[in-house]
Amino acid sequence: MPQGLPTETPDSPDADIVARVLGGDVEAFGIIIRRYESGLLRFATRMLGSSDVAADAVAEGLVRAYRHLATCREPARLRSWLYRIVGNRCRSYLARRSTDELSLEEAPAQADPADPALDVERAEQLVLVERALAGLSEEKREAFLLKHVEGLSYEEMAAMTGERIPTLKMRVHRAREALLEALKEDQ
Amino acid sequence: MSARDERLHQALDGEIDTASLPPEQQRDLRRLLGAAALLSQGPPGSVHHRVMAALRQPRRSPARRLAHWLTAPHALTFAVRPIWSLALAAVLAVVAVFPAHGPGPVLSAEEGIVQFVGRFPSAHSVDVVGSFTDWRRGIVQLRDDDHDGTWDGSVVLPVGHHEYMFVVDGEQWVTDPLAGRYVADGFGRQNALLIVRPAVATAASARR
Repeated sequence: MPQGLPTETPDSPDADIVARVLGGDVEAFGIIIRRYESGLLRFATRMLGSSDVAADAVAEGLVRAYRHLATCREPARLRSWLYRIVGNRCRSYLARRSTDELSLEEAPAQADPADPALDVERAEQLVLVERALAGLSEEKREAFLLKHVEGLSYEEMAAMTGERIPTLKMRVHRAREALLEALKEDQ
Repeated sequence: MSARDERLHQALDGEIDTASLPPEQQRDLRRLLGAAALLSQGPPGSVHHRVMAALRQPRRSPARRLAHWLTAPHALTFAVRPIWSLALAAVLAVVAVFPAHGPGPVLSAEEGIVQFVGRFPSAHSVDVVGSFTDWRRGIVQLRDDDHDGTWDGSVVLPVGHHEYMFVVDGEQWVTDPLAGRYVADGFGRQNALLIVRPAVATAASARR
């Protein structure tokens, strides 16, 4: 099989692909990357406020995931496991962000109003939302993103974060309220 | 939180019908869902090639591995019986306290000796892997020469902080329960943390 062209079986369950990788088929890991990288990059970008740093965090997370794939106890829940690893990488990056560096709230928004792919009004709205999101605490930001942007269930979020479901619900609720307040102030 | 607010959360969590919300909360709901939709626009780009290139890194040829082995710093491994390790620790302590009163191990100011001890009665092999072995097995292997279930070994490590785990029988990763210091490994478990100080024996022991 040519390198870089794994047999893509869109419907293959994650557990089957994990078994292939663990059986020595390195290229099969490319299927996992293709399947989850856009969500992971989006999540990391929203968490870190920088698409470049997010790409580093996701790439490092995926390499770590490959090297420790045998320790993934439930391959059927690979998605949660990958978000957990990338979430941990994001936390490391945020912890390393020194006080003299730009804080997330001060960082420029990722949306570029001049981007022709976005209409101006939509881009401006996105800038406002990104700014409001950056004002949330790390935990609330993560909870809102996982629930409403990545579409994880509370059960998946619990598996990913190791937190109890009532705790996560409370974080999501508080994140919604804080976000609403921030969005109302901007209007 | 007011009952009114709670209904908004219930609707967003799919517990009640959104149509049952009053107009003001309908607006808040649309505001939040709109924000989530905007944030759902993923940034362009891919890490596929970058990650796969890292994973496809070819293994070094035997000659390159030999050259690397000859030039890279290595942790030294030697096995001692528990009684001798206690004696060694005592001697090292004396040397550390009275450095000018006799010869001691030849260690630089940037190195220290660390003794690992773990109790694994049914194990056939015990490795120590850590930041100092690049998390590879086969570099620091503990011994149980008298088959009493106590595995031990000592290594010279650079001064500083090191994370480590025991690997029993090549597959079971065990955190040293008596390490005293731990750091998250990024996968939901904890690595033991070891702090090596110059020319002072440090004991890391486990009982299981």
